[in-house]
Amino acid sequence: MIGRSTASGLEWNRAKWGWIFVAPGLAFFSIFSFYPMLNAIWTSFFNKRLLSLKAPKFIGLQNYQRVLGSEEFWNSARATATFTVGVFVPLFILSLLFAVLVTTMRRGRRLVQAALYSPAVLSSVVAALIWLLMLDPRGLANQFVNWVSMTPGIDHRWLSDGRMVQVSTMIVYVWKYLGYFTILFVTGIGKIPDSVNEAATMDGAGPVRRFFSITLPLLRPTTVLVSVMILIQCMKTFSTQYLFTQSGAPLAPVNVITLNIYNTAMRDLNIGRASVMSTVLFLFMLGLTWVQLKVSKKDEAGL
Amino acid sequence: MTRLVPLREAAAPALRTVFVAASCAVVLVPLAFMLGSSFMPAIDIMRMPYRWIPETWMPANYLRALAGNDGTWMFLRNILNSVIVSSSIAVSTVVLSSIVGYGLAKFRFRGRDAVFMAIMGTMMIPFETVMIPLYLIIVKAGMQNSYAGLIVPFLMNAFGVFIMRQYLITFPEEMLDAARIDGCSEPRIFREIVFRNSGPAAATLAVLSFRQQWDNLLWPLLVAQEEKMKTIPAYIVKFAAEKHADEGAMMAVAVIASLPVFVLFFTLSKYFLGGSAVYQAGKE
Amino acid sequence: MKRFVAVMLAALLVAPAFAQAPTVRALKGKKVELVVWTHEDQARTALEKRLIDEFVAANPSVSVNYVTYPSGKIKDIVVAGFAANAGPDVFNLEIFEEYQFIENGRVAPVDYASAGFKSMKDMQGKYLPGMLDPVTDGGKIYGMPLELTNWAMYLNKKIFRDAGLDPMKDYPKTWEEVMAVSEKIVTRDGQIIKRRGFDFRYPYYLTSVVPMVEQLGGVLVSKDGKSSVTGDAAWLKVLEYFREFGPNGKNLGSPTYTAARKVFDNDKNEIAMSLSGLYQEARMRDANRAFYDSGEWMVVPFPQWKDAVKKVPNNYYGHYYMVNAQKPKLSQQAAWALIGYMLSHGEEYLEKVAIVQPTKALFDSKTFKATPYSDVFAKDMAAGHIVYYGPASSKIESLLKEAFESVMLSGVEPAKALEKLRRDVAAALADI
Repeated sequence: MIGRSTASGLEWNRAKWGWIFVAPGLAFFSIFSFYPMLNAIWTSFFNKRLLSLKAPKFIGLQNYQRVLGSEEFWNSARATATFTVGVFVPLFILSLLFAVLVTTMRRGRRLVQAALYSPAVLSSVVAALIWLLMLDPRGLANQFVNWVSMTPGIDHRWLSDGRMVQVSTMIVYVWKYLGYFTILFVTGIGKIPDSVNEAATMDGAGPVRRFFSITLPLLRPTTVLVSVMILIQCMKTFSTQYLFTQSGAPLAPVNVITLNIYNTAMRDLNIGRASVMSTVLFLFMLGLTWVQLKVSKKDEAGL
Repeated sequence: MTRLVPLREAAAPALRTVFVAASCAVVLVPLAFMLGSSFMPAIDIMRMPYRWIPETWMPANYLRALAGNDGTWMFLRNILNSVIVSSSIAVSTVVLSSIVGYGLAKFRFRGRDAVFMAIMGTMMIPFETVMIPLYLIIVKAGMQNSYAGLIVPFLMNAFGVFIMRQYLITFPEEMLDAARIDGCSEPRIFREIVFRNSGPAAATLAVLSFRQQWDNLLWPLLVAQEEKMKTIPAYIVKFAAEKHADEGAMMAVAVIASLPVFVLFFTLSKYFLGGSAVYQAGKE
Repeated sequence: MKRFVAVMLAALLVAPAFAQAPTVRALKGKKVELVVWTHEDQARTALEKRLIDEFVAANPSVSVNYVTYPSGKIKDIVVAGFAANAGPDVFNLEIFEEYQFIENGRVAPVDYASAGFKSMKDMQGKYLPGMLDPVTDGGKIYGMPLELTNWAMYLNKKIFRDAGLDPMKDYPKTWEEVMAVSEKIVTRDGQIIKRRGFDFRYPYYLTSVVPMVEQLGGVLVSKDGKSSVTGDAAWLKVLEYFREFGPNGKNLGSPTYTAARKVFDNDKNEIAMSLSGLYQEARMRDANRAFYDSGEWMVVPFPQWKDAVKKVPNNYYGHYYMVNAQKPKLSQQAAWALIGYMLSHGEEYLEKVAIVQPTKALFDSKTFKATPYSDVFAKDMAAGHIVYYGPASSKIESLLKEAFESVMLSGVEPAKALEKLRRDVAAALADI
């Protein structure tokens, strides 16, 4: 970087235009994202009740102590972590697998992509309505699984069993986002020059080896993008858990942090404590993403 | 052994096709279920074993879905609201995100990376966290119960900025420089050269933002306080709460609510399916 | 002033006959816009819209914006509105949610004159004893009851006969009988239930499960608020009952089947018994007239344990109309006048919506006595008490749900669930 004192007029002009183009974004995000988030962080130090007209009292770290010392919060952390891992692994592997399969197909590529993507087009409310009907004890889910495994009459308790309800939320999520991430991978693979693959084939590398020693390393930017996006999405998951618990599913197993935040604010009216959880979740996601980007950069440098 | 290899190679594509087709079928099951049951009386939907083709056809489900239980046909108005809100947001997201994304991609200035990281950081904010402060802002601005209140907080988003920035980073610098030498002003360069050439990315972003907004439930419930300002998800929740047992009509509502997005998606599908936009976004 | 009240009372008395609403004198033609937020209920919306039109006709300077929200969402919306100091003029919620609004000074006391009463005493005198207690605080009344609801047991006679039972003789009086009868009625395909005998209304533990505990001498929160979840034997017995009832026991029902009350009206051989309020009759009439007219259903009292130590019917819960304290005085007066006018049509609310206002006049009215099984509900209500309400009641309800369903569905030992429940309830109460 050249110091500002020696910067030429042209560069100064360019910088000025840079700021001008960025300004609408800064203004918008300041009002609708930075301010509310800072507000939440600030609120986390106060004993603030949603309906109270009294001025909230500054209580230092007491909210943090209470939240971080409560069983419920750690259960939520567990629920979010379980959900994230339970979605991340199958979603990542399946979308990569389908992307590889799709790119090797000669015909019907677009059809397959469209079919896989179509659940993502539905709104979460509609998706939840459909799945609630299918996961009903008398619904399709039991019938289908019992037909495949030839176990008639078994109720798999998709929504009522503490373990199964977690599996159910994961299934809904993977179902919904599989097509989206498959497309990201397909486009990522499409970017790898054919010549590289051809050269490897000539060297006698089989499809599996080609995948692990060529496709996967060259796909790194896409895999980083996809994994960051899946992680963020999973940690922010809300509507599936919300709508399922509203329809009778047990809360504790799927009480993810966002749902806990919502209930603490809207049901218990304790906005101070809800803000603590918001702050913790925000900082955690920020940290995780940062680490992920750092690690991937280092890997790239090492290659 | 030597005879087995060609056989294996011949079988692989067939296996792959079968596997892919079966997977697609499984993914599509819930959609087929929605469509089929939207023509059924409620009692048949929970029937064991389930019949995919309705035995008793109930097209009346659609009439009831549209007319609503009170017969005010408010659903049509709510669909219109959703279209207005979602498409305004799609347009504004594309325009604003490309302006900001362009600034971040093609200009060097101090603090640029900080600005980029800060904007990316907003992706980590759970909406439930900012809902109340956001609502306070909208109330102070007197925007409850108006399209403005439904639209303004979502005019653009970090993901949009990200996509546009990634796309524009690879935009040929020579074209910009040539225009500058010709004496084009910066806004004009953006308008005539950059924006015009970001079609695929813009289309992808537009559809993604449209769809995301189409989905939004919590915010419109808070802000839209009159029946005629409500959007589709709110109507669905209301309909599901009122018409307790009538799952058939509920599925008809679901089908109608999904149609516009499906149409939009399939008409613009060439942009994402094998298109270059998202592919560019993956490039760091 | 006295004369004004007299005129207004006279107007109120003749109101049903002439549909003539009172004129709010204090307005003097000043423009007032009233925003009303209420939960969705189709029949009630139609009635209240008509009453509002009548009120506006008599008070042309008033305009009313009447908005309905899904009942599962309205609390969040009202809370957010008030949090932003942009709440409606008039709203109603369930009493245990409204309590917070009184406690935080967000709602205005009843303006007796505007609402059509001579005084606080006069108002209290018009309602059944105790019915205004939940909204009375510091010598002021903060709400007018829109409805007070208790649940009794709806029963489908056809299904009883189909299972070889005589509905008139075999209807369950005790919880033990509920389970025995359900076992006879239930039909399954493997583990999957096709027809249920009885099933609970799951998230509503405060209303219908706490009374089961109380029948056996257990207590949720003591009157002085100092102790909570006492009487272990009672709690354990009810928890055990849920385990027996659920899929790990006799498999008679569970929270994930379609809600019992929803399928009862359909009369499609899916459920024989369900708990609900009098309002269910209006819903049934609208949804399935043939079944309503068939006489194939009946209502019996809330069951008691065989060895109950006291009779406790289903707790009743209420919705009260309240007025935003942040609105100008004039709006408040107009709001109370509107509420007073609407609620003065108690018999119409009963006839068209089948919701019950706990006024002496209504309980003595022919309409009430002519409503099928109203006596069952009235008797249960007279013997019962209102649902637990306090600043932590929503939280406590979800703790109860967790405790009971962990035993019923996840195989947690009742003693362990009770221990956790006691700890969590104590923490929730201490947090306030």
